[in-house]
Amino acid sequence: MAAILRIERLTKYFAGLAAVKEVSFELQEGGLYGLIGPNGAGKTTLLSIVAGSLRPTSGAVFFQGRDLTGAKPFQAVRAGIVRTHQIPRPFRALSVLANVEVGVKFGGKQKSAGDGENGMGVLERVGLGRAASMPAAELSLGDQKRLELARALGARPRLLLCDEVCSGLTEKETTSVLGLLCDIRRAGTTILYVEHNLKAIMSVCDHVIVMNYGEKLAEGPPEKMQNDPAVIEAYIGKAESI
Amino acid sequence: MTEPGTSGVSGLYRGVWKGAPLLLLGVVAALPHVYSGAYFIRLLFVTLVWLTTSVAWNILGGFAGQVSFGFAVFYGLGAYTTALLLNSGMNRASCLLLGACVAAFASLLIGLPTFRLKGPYFAIATIGVSEAVRVVMTNLPFTGGASGYRIIEKGAFHQLLHFYFALGLAGVAVIVSMLVQRSKFGLALVAIHEDEEAAADLGVNPFRAKLLAHALGAALTGMAGGVYAGYAAFIYPGGVFAFDISVHILLMPIIGGVGTVWGPVIGSVVNGAVHEELVASFPQLHLLLYGSLLILIILFEPGGVLGLLGKASRVLARARSAGGSHS
Repeated sequence: MAAILRIERLTKYFAGLAAVKEVSFELQEGGLYGLIGPNGAGKTTLLSIVAGSLRPTSGAVFFQGRDLTGAKPFQAVRAGIVRTHQIPRPFRALSVLANVEVGVKFGGKQKSAGDGENGMGVLERVGLGRAASMPAAELSLGDQKRLELARALGARPRLLLCDEVCSGLTEKETTSVLGLLCDIRRAGTTILYVEHNLKAIMSVCDHVIVMNYGEKLAEGPPEKMQNDPAVIEAYIGKAESI
Repeated sequence: MTEPGTSGVSGLYRGVWKGAPLLLLGVVAALPHVYSGAYFIRLLFVTLVWLTTSVAWNILGGFAGQVSFGFAVFYGLGAYTTALLLNSGMNRASCLLLGACVAAFASLLIGLPTFRLKGPYFAIATIGVSEAVRVVMTNLPFTGGASGYRIIEKGAFHQLLHFYFALGLAGVAVIVSMLVQRSKFGLALVAIHEDEEAAADLGVNPFRAKLLAHALGAALTGMAGGVYAGYAAFIYPGGVFAFDISVHILLMPIIGGVGTVWGPVIGSVVNGAVHEELVASFPQLHLLLYGSLLILIILFEPGGVLGLLGKASRVLARARSAGGSHS
């Protein structure tokens, strides 16, 4: 399989502080990848660079062989990279359906996850069909997280960047959202899933990238990462100090 | 739940509602024939010119949420372009269209740098640009500078002709506003209003959409300025480029209900009904009154007159359904 996303020595400085430092990795088409690390590790910054919301200080982003470094967010979306936000950002005055329509109408033209072109179809898929005509402002947090996913799906991603879709959800909601991610991936969309909830990541991802202090610490299958001393140290401190 | 026959009645209701704009247009078109005082027709004319600017401003300021204090630039440029071309012998409609083009072009020049700013910074920048344009126009020799510019009337003055130009333009503005609201472009504008970054993350190009909305609003405002210039036959920078004009243009949609099709229309009618009286009765105080009104609206009813009407109708509906359950 071909690499759908390749990032090369990506670096981002904020006022002299490196939020992301020389990070390189490749995502293969069709995979469900986890990006983990403690708070402040640079996960969201990295995701924002790939989505075009932030310009890297140096390094490069290649998507399906095309150089997308420094592309604007709408250009990234039209190329097939769509992100969700950790704290949902619904268009509060618009109905739930109209929220999704924004993605449907302005997203890329590529085939994706077999969602069809229809906003209602996407809503049914994430389980928000019944709320279609509600103002987005009235959704519960769990449903707002689903709406984030629905909007992103509406924009027909080839690569979906999910930023902590499960934070703040109950265990039951978490299970169902994770199931949704697996469905999306099965339909052919590659997913890069940022999370600091290890349990959630380990249960669904087939490959995990670990970051700490802006640098890539390790990557590999989840079982291996769970037992990697460097990863354990990053999360809970050195073994001796316990 | 709903009683039988309710849907038929609400269907009829909707039908009437849909025809209402046309009916309104017909009534306004007939008004000068029913009540033909020159002062009254002038008041109608001025209200229609303001209505056009109010609806035009709302495309950018209401739908897209980009509050500009600089629409006098487009009003003045439209007025001056039309005046210069009328004197060169061009027909009125072409003069107005070229005025719209000049205003739209200016909106791009202004928008390219200022749309890189957000919220209040954008608003402040538009004040600066607008004042700069006024100063330049005040010192431009070929338009007469501060002493103004006169249109040489070639034929007799027909007040009704000007009135129908203003009415036609106002109709066009409302239709454009309705089309924008229902279009994909309109959805992008509302999304930008709500959360510009989130909109961009779904594929909307916010910069382009804002430039387009600005140009559309500028073109309509420029034509309104042109229609006004043709009527007044004399314009000067302190009049058509005044900061007062910009403030007025944005007050009307806020009074009526920002971000809706009919709010700006209602706002301009309210303004037309009270403005002349206010200026005549309180020449020094009318701006203070407007300012206070603005503060009250923003504090208590950001939806303006339309928002108030919506609340009132919900209260009525609740009262009626409560009454129904008792019977």
